[in-house]
Amino acid sequence: MTAFIILAILAIVGALGVVVARQPVHSALFLVANILSLAILYLLLSAEFLAVAQVIVYAGAIMVLFLFVVTLLTAGKEEGEPKEQLEGQRWIAGVLAVGVGIALAVLAIHHPGRAIASGLPHNFGNLHGMGLLLWGPDFLYVGAIALMLVTAAIGVLVLNRPVRRQAPRPQRRNEA
Amino acid sequence: MSLFHGLLPEYIIVGFILISLLGNMLSRKYHVASWLSLIGMLSAFVASSHLWSFVLKPHMFLGGGAVIDNYSLFVNLLVLLAGLGTILLGWDERRWGTEFPVLVMLAVLGMMILGLAGNVITLFLGIEMLSLPLYILAASTHTASGGEAGLKYLLLGAFSSGILLFGLALLYGAMGSLAFVNFAKTVATPTSPLLWAGVVLSLVGILFKLGIVPFHMWVPDVYEGSPTAVTQFMAFGTKVGAAAILLRFMDFGFYATPGWWGPALGYLAVLTMIVGNLLALPQKDLKRLLAYSGIGHAGFLLIGVATHNLQGARALLFYLLPYGLAVLGAFAVLSLVAGDRDQVSVSDLTGLAKKRPLMAAFFIVVMLSFAGIPLTGGFVGKFYLLQAALFANQPGLAIGLVLGTVLGLGAYLRPIQALLNNQDSDSTAPKPKWTLGGAVVVVVAVVGTIGLGVYPTPIVHMVNQSANFFWLH
Repeated sequence: MTAFIILAILAIVGALGVVVARQPVHSALFLVANILSLAILYLLLSAEFLAVAQVIVYAGAIMVLFLFVVTLLTAGKEEGEPKEQLEGQRWIAGVLAVGVGIALAVLAIHHPGRAIASGLPHNFGNLHGMGLLLWGPDFLYVGAIALMLVTAAIGVLVLNRPVRRQAPRPQRRNEA
Repeated sequence: MSLFHGLLPEYIIVGFILISLLGNMLSRKYHVASWLSLIGMLSAFVASSHLWSFVLKPHMFLGGGAVIDNYSLFVNLLVLLAGLGTILLGWDERRWGTEFPVLVMLAVLGMMILGLAGNVITLFLGIEMLSLPLYILAASTHTASGGEAGLKYLLLGAFSSGILLFGLALLYGAMGSLAFVNFAKTVATPTSPLLWAGVVLSLVGILFKLGIVPFHMWVPDVYEGSPTAVTQFMAFGTKVGAAAILLRFMDFGFYATPGWWGPALGYLAVLTMIVGNLLALPQKDLKRLLAYSGIGHAGFLLIGVATHNLQGARALLFYLLPYGLAVLGAFAVLSLVAGDRDQVSVSDLTGLAKKRPLMAAFFIVVMLSFAGIPLTGGFVGKFYLLQAALFANQPGLAIGLVLGTVLGLGAYLRPIQALLNNQDSDSTAPKPKWTLGGAVVVVVAVVGTIGLGVYPTPIVHMVNQSANFFWLH
């Protein structure tokens, strides 16, 4: 329980830091803190594979990418905040978000659901169990996610198409 | 029936997505992918209708994750109709590149998955698979307004997906199961407020996709900025997918306890019908006008869920077809009038009746169907919705429907007035050109609209058989 509370506080502080920090690099580092404390939380829940994947994929690969982009794009630039259109909306949004969060936490503590009672299946959380699930009954879901990745790849192609290449197209049709 | 048979339409679409990608790679011809996607969607259409004719009771696969029944197959048919229309309308749009048909097929696949979703994993996968290609398509023209539309849709869509996911997690926490079938069994016993929080958050996520009033802010901007064919796809396909999953999620998963959610959805439906149609009145841009009218129609669709009875489910499913046909026809005429531009205002229609009488007549027919004038499909659809509201003993919904319809009629009469107006017609403006794809879509839409209005019996029969997923209870 103590471990959970410490990790939860760390995760929340990290998440707040991402939003509040002025420098993008600081935001990215706060995100690392958040991701790592989440990874340890997963370990406590005996989801070992998820914890390791979280560290390798998010804290490793994706954060490196973030930092690259941040240092490439914003190095030495100090950008001011855009002016708020609606005065004080951040405070109201913050209060509402915290209120909803507290209400949900109270609900979850006072009325634990059935999922807690259902117990862990055999091989839960380790590589063997995950593999059996993903290549067994849940294979179609994995297939759907693969198609989503295809979508993302096509999206990169479509959105990054150089504008120059589009102009000659109708011309070629006229020549034919 | 095996899983492979049941998912045959989906497998066909997946296969043709991959073949189209290969075709793009191997051939430099522009229309290869478009032809391949047309063939793919037509064969999936044939497969769905064939399966529809011999599925008598629901088949469950993946532990309840995929439910193949007449309902899911009917949704397939509607969604494929929307996809075919999009490909035909975007046939000569060379700016979009050869990936356009592939993205449309991916979004169609997401909508088909929403139709057969039987647990929360499939639900979420379907919503994401529908949304991702649409984010890209909205921004695919590389214009400033297109970029704005794509970014707005992406940010708000990701936010609503987050809320939806949170709600689904809470639902799992409260019930200890992912499948809707088990929800129904669990919910009958006294339940926890955690469950309510989960239902509310999941509903927010789904209603966002449907464009119901407190969550409708994105609709006009995204519709206005997106290319016309894509807007048509959003207005028809996305609404079909979201309405299908909403109906299955509430009427199937929470069948036993309609008292919790029925009234809330009823109030939202009335609010949406009135606000959507009211805001459609002052619009000058035709796409914004149709966007607000789409919000109003989402309110009409919500009646079918809020009544939580069999008539409501049938009326919703029926209403999707006349609404979709009218959307197809309206956006086809819009894209013909617009030509190369992405923006069309009401004043662009001025004098169309003189320049292109047939096009104007078709446009008037679909507009009257939107408004629900007798002898069009829209009237029959609204009639069934009204009947469902009265059977459910909810006169408030019926009053809201009538009010929304009257307000909507005012909005639809303005473009009609503009196109019959000959006085200040700008005779130097070029005549809109017919294209083959646009003509096919308009003719199918108008014939379907009038056919549904004059002789709706076969479709009504089909819909009555399709809304049979209550059988499992």
